[in-house]
Amino acid sequence: MKKVLALLLAAFMALGMMAGCGGESSESEGYTIGIGQFGPHASLDNCREGFLAGLKEEGIVEGENLTIRYSDANFDPGTTNTIAQSFVSAKVDLICAIATPMAQAAYNATDEAKDLPVIFTAITDVESAGLVSGEVTGTSDMLPVEDQLKLIRAMMPEAKKIGILYTTSESNSVSAIKVYEELAPKYGFTIVTSGVATQADVSMAAADLVNKVDCLSNLTDNTVVGALPIVLDAADKKNVPVFGSEIEQVKLGCVASQGLDYVALGKQTGKMAAKVLKGEAKASEIPYETLKESQLSINSTVMAKYNLTLPADMMAEATDVAK
Amino acid sequence: MELLISTLEQGLIYGILGLGVYITYKILDFPDLTADGSFPLGAAVTAAIIANGGSPILAMVASIALGALAGLITGIIHVKCRVRDLLSGIITMTALYSINLRIAGMSNVPLFGKVTLFKNPLVEGTLTGALEPFSAVIVVLIVVIVFKVLMDLFLKTKAGYLLRAVGDNDTVVTSLAKDKGSVKIMGLVIANALVALSGCILCQQQRFFEIQMGTGAIVIGLAAVIIGTNLFKKMTFVKATTSVIIGSIIYKGCVAAAIQMGLDAGDMRLITAVLFLAILVAGNLFDRKGDAA
Repeated sequence: MKKVLALLLAAFMALGMMAGCGGESSESEGYTIGIGQFGPHASLDNCREGFLAGLKEEGIVEGENLTIRYSDANFDPGTTNTIAQSFVSAKVDLICAIATPMAQAAYNATDEAKDLPVIFTAITDVESAGLVSGEVTGTSDMLPVEDQLKLIRAMMPEAKKIGILYTTSESNSVSAIKVYEELAPKYGFTIVTSGVATQADVSMAAADLVNKVDCLSNLTDNTVVGALPIVLDAADKKNVPVFGSEIEQVKLGCVASQGLDYVALGKQTGKMAAKVLKGEAKASEIPYETLKESQLSINSTVMAKYNLTLPADMMAEATDVAK
Repeated sequence: MELLISTLEQGLIYGILGLGVYITYKILDFPDLTADGSFPLGAAVTAAIIANGGSPILAMVASIALGALAGLITGIIHVKCRVRDLLSGIITMTALYSINLRIAGMSNVPLFGKVTLFKNPLVEGTLTGALEPFSAVIVVLIVVIVFKVLMDLFLKTKAGYLLRAVGDNDTVVTSLAKDKGSVKIMGLVIANALVALSGCILCQQQRFFEIQMGTGAIVIGLAAVIIGTNLFKKMTFVKATTSVIIGSIIYKGCVAAAIQMGLDAGDMRLITAVLFLAILVAGNLFDRKGDAA
């Protein structure tokens, strides 16, 4: 009986602790922001870093007049709800939600607390995520697909087929493929896709896909990007260049990318959040934004390996990660 | 306060999942991994129906029916095709990933602004004023109580006794001239219907469907069963179904507390494992001192 009581006691103490935490946070002056991130991931981390930098440029500085509560859900959609709810109960002034499921959970949790704005970032398809009405706004990380197609055309004038690997469970990838398929004919490409369910399938899918295409182009697909070395290996065996979707992938061995700068995206988001915090505009009055310019990065070592070149004007604006 | 309410909501919703897992794990002694697929199955059906303007009640009925079907398939694979219990669940769970994606149409379906069990004219009309913050808890509580009572009543019927007999000592069932295979299938059908219902309710409460939401469902279900049944082992006046639901609330409370204390979500699984082990070991120590079970 003693043990049972001890366990019960422990459980209630745990519950009591969170109840206690809920009350204490209505502290002094300054702002409190809850940042919820779907999981640890280089691009998402960059978003968060940029977000804080964006706030700083507007005079809202962590440690001075800003308190940050940060949680990540380790890619578990179930945990996102608890995190979002803990922000609501801590009465933060604003929730910054990074990536789609986190943003949806935050949007759901703030429904009762109508004045608590949610600022999201790193969401590819804002409309189909349903985050369009109410005190919610932010930035989309829809890939600059058109720029990427131009880049591939410039490097590979003869190429016809672009292969894309994606995960069937990632809605961002599915949306991005739609855009690719719409725009590809304009540049004389056809898109060949191959979907995987888990990281374990990437190796086979990549080995198969490289036989059917002239080059591969990556999305911001977490699973596929996480297995990038496998993709690069398979592509290398068939002499198929791989185009990345952001600079980090080019560093790992992709030829080039016309991608997003997630720090810049985060900064843009941070400035939107500052506007809302200062009361200059309500979140519902600010339409969501996309990153205006994309960033061209190349890997000259890999380019030389595949005998690829770029026109001088594009070379001039590119960041070469091999240097 | 809000966090306490939301923990209750979540705990109750996952409590229904716990009831399903209780049937397979505790009563049937069947390690049923179908749950990882039937939980999001309920959510996928719900998303498909509600996104197209269908009724939340219809979504519940459809989830229960499809969950039952998933359980039936696992049962048939196990009993009729003689595949091992663990494997038959894994087979159904694996197939369900693709099926769920087909049903929902996309890997992520938002249901914001739709009529759900929690957001409808009836709830908004009756649960107003002081009751308003508790409206979701009240709705979930009603659903949970209805299904808990139904399950208690069922376990007292002849079929319910047979179900319990199969897990304890299946020769009894055979000696009663009943087919133990069909009793097992019945158990799996009921269990997965409950699991899918839990997915349906969660989807309506969080208002989005996400294909990954099934990952680890079985772990949460097991947590509810293990915590609940071990805590109330000696309190025979507490029904097993009640203790499972309380177990689920305690588990969710621990998760919420861990997040509040700023623990890394990546460590959550480790914490869960330690919690499991602690409770199981504590339960065993208790047994040895007591009646040497």
